[in-house]
Amino acid sequence: MTELIAIFLGMVLINNFILVRFLGLCPFFGVSKQLNSAISMGIAVTFVMSIASLATWLIYQRILIPFDIEYMYIVIFILVIATLVQIIELFIKKTNLGLYFSFGIYLPLITTNCAVLGITLINVTQDYSLTGSIVAALGGGLGFTLVLAMMSGIREKLEMANIPKSMKGLPIAFIIAALLGLAFLGFGGMI
Amino acid sequence: MIIGILIAIGLACGLIIYFVYIKVPQKVKGLEKTEEINAILPGMNCGACGRPGCFAYAQALAADPDLITKTPCTVVLQDPESLERLEKALGITLDASAMSKKALVHCNGNSETIYNYSGVETCKAAAQLLSGYRKCPYACLGLGDCVEVCPQQGAIFIDPEKNVAIVDTEKCNGCGLCVTECPLNLIELVPAGTKIAFLCNYKPLRDIPGREKCDFGCIHCRKCFKACEDEAIEWNKETALPEFNQEKCTLCLKCIEVCPQNTLADFTKVKKEAELVTA
Repeated sequence: MTELIAIFLGMVLINNFILVRFLGLCPFFGVSKQLNSAISMGIAVTFVMSIASLATWLIYQRILIPFDIEYMYIVIFILVIATLVQIIELFIKKTNLGLYFSFGIYLPLITTNCAVLGITLINVTQDYSLTGSIVAALGGGLGFTLVLAMMSGIREKLEMANIPKSMKGLPIAFIIAALLGLAFLGFGGMI
Repeated sequence: MIIGILIAIGLACGLIIYFVYIKVPQKVKGLEKTEEINAILPGMNCGACGRPGCFAYAQALAADPDLITKTPCTVVLQDPESLERLEKALGITLDASAMSKKALVHCNGNSETIYNYSGVETCKAAAQLLSGYRKCPYACLGLGDCVEVCPQQGAIFIDPEKNVAIVDTEKCNGCGLCVTECPLNLIELVPAGTKIAFLCNYKPLRDIPGREKCDFGCIHCRKCFKACEDEAIEWNKETALPEFNQEKCTLCLKCIEVCPQNTLADFTKVKKEAELVTA
């Protein structure tokens, strides 16, 4: 149990996906203009990450290791994640249209989000158990959502702020990202 | 052995998607109309209608068919067949010729170069230095920002001799992306039936006559106004520029003959990129 809590906290704060591991940087700047879309993107990523962790753990442990082809894991994982996202999109489109439209373009975009591939690879290299990898995915997704929500909240305020013209938009966002990253470094010694 | 397993996993993934597609029942109703409209739309996601893509536009149309009169899909307007299908799908009739528009570049090109520009090869960057490197601050810079943004290959192109953007009226579907892209605001959307094109955008008349800035711009001589026998040209005293009444114009082309600066052109004559390159 303590191990699971350590994995979870480590993924949310200490080894945060965006600010410490530098994964999923594209949505970090692309989708962080509004709080609403940032949070729905975060939820979508968390959802896909958890399911991808489950599926890839099973495939890695039950197929790749017995057949002795662990070295093909990146190829297989990419394939599995793409398939999963397709299935989820199809499923949501057919059953819940409101949810489908609120996810919008973000769901197919997750296929190419390196945070999703990242969590599956981290699970392999860290040798997590099945529950461990799912908890790690949930923690990673939560950390991703947290940083995205913080960033979008700050950027919404920045829209109103009186800043030099040359700094408006992305330049000030980069500086904010650096400051956020510094702040998250403070969690470094917790565990 | 390894290849077999990889192929098996790939096949399994494909089959799972297929079975989900077939077996999961379509519980949601109301998407059929959107899909039907989406199939008619061009699918090039140019964004000229103001929506993020064709599917988003189809969604908006399914909810409110009147939207097409306000922000029409300019690509469908060019194609009678898909327009008819769209009318049937939406249950309304449209006057396509009245809504169809073309881009018109208000510049005749070849304004004198006043300094050597060696910066980034885009009009946006060049326009920030003294409104560009041409003597006339409203002259086309010819670096092709409009060509970059145009979703139709060859609908707008740069004439290598005159260094000015030229619109191929046959290919242009009037999406208006170049209008917003041009940093000097030289491009305007005009009705597709426009007959005479006015190729100058020099506005501050009372400052300096256009003649000092460019040898091809309007010098406000009123010759075209006097030459017109159909009363299709009105002289706007405020701007000192001719205004063309497209309905009265009979395309006698007398105004074009008489213009000393060659600032007027026949807009109905289609210019092709290929002809200019070989010529």
